[in-house]
Amino acid sequence: MVKYVLKRLASSVVTLAIVITIVFVLLRQMPIEGYFDNFEKLNEAQINAKLANLGLTQPIPVQLKNFFANLLRGDLGTSSRYSAGTSIASIIAQKAPLSACMGLMSMAISLAMGIPLGAAMARSKSGFWDKFGTVFIVFINAVPAAVYYIFIQMYGTSWMGISMLFDRNNYVTWILPVFSMSLGSTASYAMWIRRYMLDEMNKDYVRLARAKGVSSQQIMMRHVFRNAFVPMIQYIPASILYTISGSIYIESLYSVPGMGGLLVDVIGRQDNPMVQALVMIYSAIGIIGLLLGDLLMGVTDPRISFVKKEGAR
Amino acid sequence: MKGLFDAKKRGLEASVTAAVKGDLPPVNEDELFVVADYDAAAAEKTGYSNYSYWRSTLNAFLHNRAAVTMLIVLALLLSFTIIQPFLPGQYGANTINNNPITGIQLQNQSPSLTTVYATVPDGTQLIGQRLDENWYAVSNVLTTIKAREKITVVEYGETWCRIEYGVLTGYVKNNFQTKLKLPDDPTATPYESRSSFPLALYQEPEDYTNAGEALYARAESIAEGENGAVTTLGETQLRTIPSDKAFLFGTNNIGQDLWARVWSGTRTSLWIGFVVGLFEALIGIMIGIIWGYVRALDRIITEIYNVLDNIPNTIILILISYIMRPGIGTLIFAMSLTRWLGMARFIRNQIVIIRDRDYNLASRCLGTSTGRIMMRNLLPYLVSVIMLRMALAIPGAIGSEVFITYIGLGLSVDTPSLGNLINEGRKLITSASLRYQLIFPAIVLSIITISFYIIGNAFADAADPKNHL
Repeated sequence: MVKYVLKRLASSVVTLAIVITIVFVLLRQMPIEGYFDNFEKLNEAQINAKLANLGLTQPIPVQLKNFFANLLRGDLGTSSRYSAGTSIASIIAQKAPLSACMGLMSMAISLAMGIPLGAAMARSKSGFWDKFGTVFIVFINAVPAAVYYIFIQMYGTSWMGISMLFDRNNYVTWILPVFSMSLGSTASYAMWIRRYMLDEMNKDYVRLARAKGVSSQQIMMRHVFRNAFVPMIQYIPASILYTISGSIYIESLYSVPGMGGLLVDVIGRQDNPMVQALVMIYSAIGIIGLLLGDLLMGVTDPRISFVKKEGAR
Repeated sequence: MKGLFDAKKRGLEASVTAAVKGDLPPVNEDELFVVADYDAAAAEKTGYSNYSYWRSTLNAFLHNRAAVTMLIVLALLLSFTIIQPFLPGQYGANTINNNPITGIQLQNQSPSLTTVYATVPDGTQLIGQRLDENWYAVSNVLTTIKAREKITVVEYGETWCRIEYGVLTGYVKNNFQTKLKLPDDPTATPYESRSSFPLALYQEPEDYTNAGEALYARAESIAEGENGAVTTLGETQLRTIPSDKAFLFGTNNIGQDLWARVWSGTRTSLWIGFVVGLFEALIGIMIGIIWGYVRALDRIITEIYNVLDNIPNTIILILISYIMRPGIGTLIFAMSLTRWLGMARFIRNQIVIIRDRDYNLASRCLGTSTGRIMMRNLLPYLVSVIMLRMALAIPGAIGSEVFITYIGLGLSVDTPSLGNLINEGRKLITSASLRYQLIFPAIVLSIITISFYIIGNAFADAADPKNHL
């Protein structure tokens, strides 16, 4: 098992390098107009001077070599256009904790609400909880997030009598953004838990357990829920890690100075060093998340094995 | 019931007695060991049952009333979006509608079912001007009195005052908008008065204008008099625009018909959703199964997934729209390029869970080929989850189109889609009177999503054979 993990980690490093190289090359294909605010007004000499200043006139392999050399020294570089001259590490260090904090809170809420809701829905098939949950899930899935977020903000802030904008030190202003953020995942956790539990409840071993006289409480918790949770657990580590990327809608609605939308923003402004740094961080998170998810899946369900078995293909 | 039981019991007793007494007919032992010939009918008896998986699934699905209703709703919606442009009296989705007199765009007209503003009786005196062969622009405003000009009130009323202005006699409104300067006892007429605001001088104490703008009447119901005076022939409908075609969903901020735009947008978005959803399902399921089942490929595909999944979609979208001509095709291409990844990972996780179950192990021991195990052992097992996931793929694709528009990489407003309509409407949410521009596209999107969700869930339930009985 350890060998398997080490192998996966080693190949992850290679993957990471490939991702960065691809993104690096793709970024160099972007239109050069994007690097300027007033492209039409500049003459060729000025354009070339700016491009040289950004280090874009060198051949791509040379640029790539310099980038990796700096990276190995632990230097992420400085932002070129988003906040020119500021070191990227400091920008991220300032923004990421806030997003992660909000994201973790909303994730805790959605796990705490979504899983019991889904379980209750599965148990009371076509009873009250099932109907209530279905309405909730249908509503959340049907109305675009961009729309119900605005309504929550408009009515929520006026009902609570607080300002529309987020203030880090005023804890009341945390409630609405965190709550809005949790709604989507609450619905999706509830939906999938219900689906998996229903699939599981129809299986023969549950029937046998019932015939043996195991209490329905125990069947649900010990057998059905445990098996139903396995397919979801793969996503949990990645979701936890991805909380640092923030939510683009929520953060722009409440003016939260977090990471949400930062990547889209810097891609739009063609701030290459920032894009590369963010892509690298998010990729690392994604890769580690997938690995942790696989491991967790193997821990919860011992029948799952990633190591080659006899007779396996 | 009891009689039947007794009869059987008696029959059994009789045969036992006969056997014990040795009364049974003698059996030739050789007869018992003759090889039986192949008998097709006898083989059918045990081998054939009229159970068909898909027919039972369909039956179970049809028992779910809510799902069948939503299926009908969805079918109606789909067919309506297709036939809508061919219906009579539709505006173009990109036509900018102007006021024919002032040439100003008919901005932010509220939704209404009809263009009729008022119906006037036969012989009503109006001021009119011929617009074209079919329409007259009419109103009953004689003239506009400038602010602070002197007028003489001859008859005072709570809502209308009869006044004289130069040689003209007519009525002005008496409300907070006109704010006539009145003496202590306003009923003691006549007296001079004025207003700080411009006044419209009406022919009668009725307002036949659309908030100050001319109304329109059909030419055949108008008789022209002198100096622009016209008379109505028969009961006449005065309309807000020179057309019978109402803006059912209102107009947007440049005077485009929202009804036409919403249906055109639904068409675009459903098309995007179907194509992207189909690609997502096909490629995602195929790659997902191979990724999950074939251990030798697991590492490689995992790494490829990691590479592709971590290249930000935004970069791909920007680059594709930079290389290719922006439009529906480009958007579909860009979305298909990235969205199958999630499906593949989902299927892979499912496969990993069941690939080493005993029944698969047994199949492998019996030498079943990998392809057959995938198609016969793994896929049918996952039909219910795959169905739910696929049902969500189409609304999911539409939803991500909304997001792509939100970050400014979506279709341009010349190609209406639910994404850009909702995004345009979203900007107007703070003004309650314009909120309809968000609500109509959002309702259509919601209907589509709800239908797919309910149908998908019902189908997923129906696809599980355990629910077939």
